[in-house]
Amino acid sequence: MTDIRIEVSGLHKSFGSLDVLRGIDFTVPRGTSTVLLGPSGSGKTTVLRSLNVLDTPDRGVVRIDDVSVDFSALPAGKAGRAAAQRLRAQSGMVFQSHNLFPHRTVLENLTEGPVVAQGRPIEEVVAEARVLLDQVGLADKASSYPYQLSGGQQQRVGIARALALKPRVVLFDEPTSALDPELVGEVLSVIKDLASEGWTTVIVTHEIRFAESVADQMLFLDGGVIVERGTPGQVIGEPREERTQRFLRRVLDHG
Amino acid sequence: MRQVFRGAVLLLLLLIVLPAPANARQQQPPVVKIGTEGTYPPFSFHDPQTQELTGYDIEVVKAIAAKAGWRLEFVETQWDAVFPALDAGRIDLIANQVSRNPERTAKYGLSNTYTYSRGVIVRRTGDDRIKSIADLSGKTTAQSSTSNWAKIARDAGARVEAVEGFAQAAALLQQGRVDAIVNDNIAVLDYLATTGSKDVEIAGDAGQAGSEQVLALRKTDAALLTQANQAIDALKADGTLRGISQKYFKADVSVEDGGTADLSEGRGPRSTWDVLRSTAWPMFVGLVKVTIPLTALSFAIGLVLALLVALARISPYRVLSGAARAFISIIRGTPLLLQLFIVFYGLPQIGLKFPPFTAAVVAFSLNVAGYAAEVVRSAILSVPRGQFEAASTIGLNYSQTLRRIVLPQAARTAVPPLSNTLLSLLKDTSLGSVVLLTELFRESQLAAAESNEFLALYSFAGLYYWLICVALSAGQKRLETRLNRYVIA
Repeated sequence: MTDIRIEVSGLHKSFGSLDVLRGIDFTVPRGTSTVLLGPSGSGKTTVLRSLNVLDTPDRGVVRIDDVSVDFSALPAGKAGRAAAQRLRAQSGMVFQSHNLFPHRTVLENLTEGPVVAQGRPIEEVVAEARVLLDQVGLADKASSYPYQLSGGQQQRVGIARALALKPRVVLFDEPTSALDPELVGEVLSVIKDLASEGWTTVIVTHEIRFAESVADQMLFLDGGVIVERGTPGQVIGEPREERTQRFLRRVLDHG
Repeated sequence: MRQVFRGAVLLLLLLIVLPAPANARQQQPPVVKIGTEGTYPPFSFHDPQTQELTGYDIEVVKAIAAKAGWRLEFVETQWDAVFPALDAGRIDLIANQVSRNPERTAKYGLSNTYTYSRGVIVRRTGDDRIKSIADLSGKTTAQSSTSNWAKIARDAGARVEAVEGFAQAAALLQQGRVDAIVNDNIAVLDYLATTGSKDVEIAGDAGQAGSEQVLALRKTDAALLTQANQAIDALKADGTLRGISQKYFKADVSVEDGGTADLSEGRGPRSTWDVLRSTAWPMFVGLVKVTIPLTALSFAIGLVLALLVALARISPYRVLSGAARAFISIIRGTPLLLQLFIVFYGLPQIGLKFPPFTAAVVAFSLNVAGYAAEVVRSAILSVPRGQFEAASTIGLNYSQTLRRIVLPQAARTAVPPLSNTLLSLLKDTSLGSVVLLTELFRESQLAAAESNEFLALYSFAGLYYWLICVALSAGQKRLETRLNRYVIA
């Protein structure tokens, strides 16, 4: 097994005439956290969704662990869907608006994927799910329905649901953007714990201070390309590109 | 000893002389099996109160048996099966208004005539414009569209309004919507006797040859036929037949020209209350045995079809979505009655022949599918895209996503409009009456045709429909509450 968990090269994606990604290349070493920064419309969310094949890139190669998909050569129909599904199974996704299943209890939200999609034994999955709920501080909410939880609690269930799939990497798409400010902290601290426990994560966020503290690698995107990359110290501390500086000035003023 | 001998000889002489030869020749009277419909009022039917088999033909044959010394056993048989039953020896005699015709004369032993019928013209009481068949030219008459009477009326230059049965025709005539009716005098007499109506009357003969109703036996049973004929002649002579006829028709139909009904006395019409009481149960049976199963089955099948059509409609494959769109458009763009007729009367012409219930299920479930498909489609589309994405990130495939994630949530949106579809369907099943289904509405029609109690019977049928709708609405409310429990704190 390689130490590079994620390898992305030459990723292109357009929606109609709009070129959203124009050649994205990066790697994510195992056990590290990578934060994608950038103004809205820069393509950072599309990069993240491409890793989970929620958006299908037009060209380029994505490898996560030992599953690699070359989107230029993705066959049509069933074989293509199967390849996409294999790549998707490598990652767990946490959405901006949690997307919990409202008609299922918290515990059922966690066990649905492992039991139904992965076909694992239910007793084992339930035991693991309870450990995960404990880990995100919601052991007592197993039989609650999502509407009975606060926004922060819902998002923590969303994180636990992603982890229950035992993914190689965890992807976070602006996990705190939809939350009330006072609920942001509890979610960020869970993500931070995961990163320090050795999970490989890719995070899209606007929380600069959080990004600074959690990231091993930062990628600044603008106009569908990576404009600047490096450690938080490099990208936030000493940005070289004018576009990065402008972006940081704006978000730090507001933050 | 001498006296005993003389008494015995006297008895023997008496038996030989008496015109009842059956008793004379056989110690044990023979059992004669009588085939009859039992569902053909007023000739052969079950009394609504006592459930006993009765009617004009039944009483006639009982009187014959009394004269001829038969013991009777009634075998109730559908009309279509009654002659085969006679051929097969399962019955010995048919008493069911069998008309004499050359084919039957050749094949069967037909008795002397016990009922004469002929075509008559019926008018509103006192309407002097209509006296004979010639007066029908340019007038409007009400007839069963396929009957021979309709043809006679048309040939006389009348415009024919198609109706179902004589009671409906009589109602139209009373209301002044038509000018006359051409029909069998027995049907008219039965109507007049049952309803006691004085609003319509027989104006005159339709000028056609009359027909004669007889008992039918096997040709080989000559002895039995002889007994029957002797008994009929005797019953005519002693007035028994006239009495039975008067009881049912207020006229003597056992002679060739029995005249019109004398309604001055005798059997009166049943009260509205009696009619309702005796019809409530058959209507309930129609509801439970036909209307409800038809609704439930059509709705269940229709929903499955609707789901498939909705999925086809939102699929990215042009051919599928185009076909679904066309199906929905056709179902919603044509009358349900027409769809029912196509399935019931049309499809048999290309070899697809269903029994009435199946045909109705096919037509109704396709109709439900057309309407519910749009409901299901919009309900599926109302589920947030994030739910589809979340389902696919945890690895669920398309059908798992639909079944486990999307449809349970779509159900919440779909239940109110689908409940409307279900209520409409329940009421639409009344159209099943036109494809020979004896469901709730048909039962009320049959009873109304017999009793003329249109308002009471149709209102009563409406009450049944309404009650079921109320129950269904209550069920809808409970289901909505149940489905909303995930989203309402």
